[in-house]
Amino acid sequence: MKIAANTMARIRLAFLSSQHARWAVLWFAGMAVLLGWDLLFLNRPALAQIQTALLNSLVGGFLVVLFSMVLGWLSALGLHYLEQGGNRTSYLLLTFSLNLLRSLPQIIGILLGYVVLTILILQDVLRAPILQVVSMSFVVSLFVFLEVSDLIRERIGHYRALDFFDAMLCCGIKESRIINTEILRKNSLAHLVHKAVAVFGMAVFLQCSIDFIISVGLSTEVSSTNFPATLGSVLARMDSKQDILAIGMVFTDVSYITALAFRHLQGINIAFIIVFTLVCTYNIANGLVRRYHL
Amino acid sequence: MVINNLSFDIEIAAEGKLIVDIRDFSLERGRVTFLLGESGIGKSLISRALYGLLDPAELTVTVNSRPYPEYTAGESVREIQRQGFFVFQEPSSHLNPLMTLGDQLREGTLARATDRSEVLHALWEGADERDLGSILDVYPKPYRPSGGEKQRILLAMALEKIDMRPPSEDRSPEGLFVFDEPSGSLDNHYRNLFLDLLFDRFRKRPFTALVITHDYSMISRVTRTNWDVMDRVDFRELARRRGKLVMNDFEPRTYTGWVEGLRRSTESGLDDPDRKPVLVVEPFLEVFGRRLVVTRDVEGQQPARLTVPRGAMVYLKAPSGTGKTTLVKRVMGLIPGGTFEAKLKDIRLTGTTPRTFWHERIWGRSMTMVFQHADEALNLHSTMRETLLGLPVREPLTTERMTRLAGELFDGDEVGDLLGKKVRMLSGGQKQRLNLLRALALLTDVLILDEPLNGLDFESSTRVIDMLHRKMHAGMGLLVISHNEEIFDALAGVDGTYYLHAGQ
Repeated sequence: MKIAANTMARIRLAFLSSQHARWAVLWFAGMAVLLGWDLLFLNRPALAQIQTALLNSLVGGFLVVLFSMVLGWLSALGLHYLEQGGNRTSYLLLTFSLNLLRSLPQIIGILLGYVVLTILILQDVLRAPILQVVSMSFVVSLFVFLEVSDLIRERIGHYRALDFFDAMLCCGIKESRIINTEILRKNSLAHLVHKAVAVFGMAVFLQCSIDFIISVGLSTEVSSTNFPATLGSVLARMDSKQDILAIGMVFTDVSYITALAFRHLQGINIAFIIVFTLVCTYNIANGLVRRYHL
Repeated sequence: MVINNLSFDIEIAAEGKLIVDIRDFSLERGRVTFLLGESGIGKSLISRALYGLLDPAELTVTVNSRPYPEYTAGESVREIQRQGFFVFQEPSSHLNPLMTLGDQLREGTLARATDRSEVLHALWEGADERDLGSILDVYPKPYRPSGGEKQRILLAMALEKIDMRPPSEDRSPEGLFVFDEPSGSLDNHYRNLFLDLLFDRFRKRPFTALVITHDYSMISRVTRTNWDVMDRVDFRELARRRGKLVMNDFEPRTYTGWVEGLRRSTESGLDDPDRKPVLVVEPFLEVFGRRLVVTRDVEGQQPARLTVPRGAMVYLKAPSGTGKTTLVKRVMGLIPGGTFEAKLKDIRLTGTTPRTFWHERIWGRSMTMVFQHADEALNLHSTMRETLLGLPVREPLTTERMTRLAGELFDGDEVGDLLGKKVRMLSGGQKQRLNLLRALALLTDVLILDEPLNGLDFESSTRVIDMLHRKMHAGMGLLVISHNEEIFDALAGVDGTYYLHAGQ
């Protein structure tokens, strides 16, 4: 009886504590099923386009996470050391600059960044597609990294308020070790992973939004055709939009639902990938919160 | 039904892992049992289990081989609860934030109490009706009243409940009064006051009580002032031996004799002209706009430099909340600015000494400090080995050196296992010993100790004091702040005692 109760408790605990893993598996499984379906029913050029767009978006998302982590860490530590060192002018200057960046709406900031990128692309400075993806990711991360910076500052602040920080300082442990090893690696890894997942989701969402905006014609030069294909830019194409609009047909003719999976596959595919990826990302992040009691 | 002696076999498991397994834990009817032991060893868990307060959804509990739901549904547990009272360790968690303290004093069965003013006046010495009213009319949250006042409210409830017991000829069931760390938020004066009130009642008519504490100095107070009822008082100690929990009788003389021995053998060394001051702090300080004065007399009339000689212990005393911890943090350079001047060997330290200087010359090199709360001061996600890494020691701390060092405060046969264990898995007492060990591993000139015996059992306390003696013999100067006056009065002597006062 006791063994059965313990086993049930363990199963319940494992189920509750593995939400993030289950959603990660679900995402991979969902994408695999989709790929299988596309291989069977989607024309090759469209499939190649979707695959390129997906790859660019995912790589872009990962790069945004990477850049945001580095920029967030540098800015948080910069602020910390300037504050602790009593360098008031530099501290205020850096705080002001970061707040200026914070005050700019993300979409507007990224659009301005894309204007700069367009100029560079048109001048052949950014020729290689991979370089363009890296640059696009950097622009997005410039307007996202403050989330990471704030988190790191908050974590350091939390431990500074406890005896934790001072107790280690008094024992002669280096401040860099206290922050990087004791606070960030040992006590904030779950928070940082959670934030990284959230930043990834945000990056995918922002990219899609920006690509959608520039696809409707921001200017003659800032156009989606100048940039590598992403999920957003493929979704913004006329045929994809018509595929999405076709969903409305189902309300007047239910039998049309089968046609969606065959005749309107490109737009439905892209929309599904975006929504499914964002839903899974949201649940993975929430699962991490629950698992580690963040 | 009359509850006779209460005897328990208790097993508590969490996530399939046995965390408490104690056999023949008995409480004799009409006796006061003091349950001693280091913090985090399971004293509170055992008392909550027998009182029927644990959540069976969280923990797998069996009491006397009965599943917990069956045990808690039993008539005997309900009578224990109905007729008794449980004073929780953390007063804030006991009090309802939506009710005033006065209303809570009249809640439930306490509403039948006829006269509660006697208990309240006894616990709030010198307070008139208006003063008491101002305390009873407030809500427990957010910030008022103080931890000590909340603790006294709970103790007042328990004492009232004792006064409400049915007449002795009434053969109705008897309750159990549990006091879990009743003096946790009280200074020694109020702790003694509470013990006197408890034993006054016990003397008039005995009841069954369990007092859980890691404050061993209670033993001295109880044995000294209640010698006439000592035949009805038990002292038990919960300890872990070879990974197993064991409950032993604790002979009061073991503790009182040890303190007496300390007193006799103390050589504070302050009169020794060869012992030069290693740290001198000017008597007037200002921290966060608050003035503090160090004096040699308890009345605060003789301001004096706080002088810590090499190889000696200095004890700084003050009531709770005066600012002892603030002062030592100021001395350690953790609070910049304000009026402050000190001399560490030949180094002059002031409120404007740059932080880089503290980093390079003071922290961990000339001076170090042990913080009060091990739970906050240690990284709970590190192992014991990792906790000792990164210290500025001359020779690297190899596993062999760590084992030897840890062996001074831990059992030799448990050190090997403990080095790789996460700090969060250690008991409160083990954490405190590790907290001390980290500072004691350093060869500094001055060591500041804030409540060094917090949460330690008797054996660990003796080990810590022995180690402090060795450090003093090696030439280290110690500055101690502690509520454990009995032990540190004995160790520092009159010459080594200073007092802190809040200035005008």
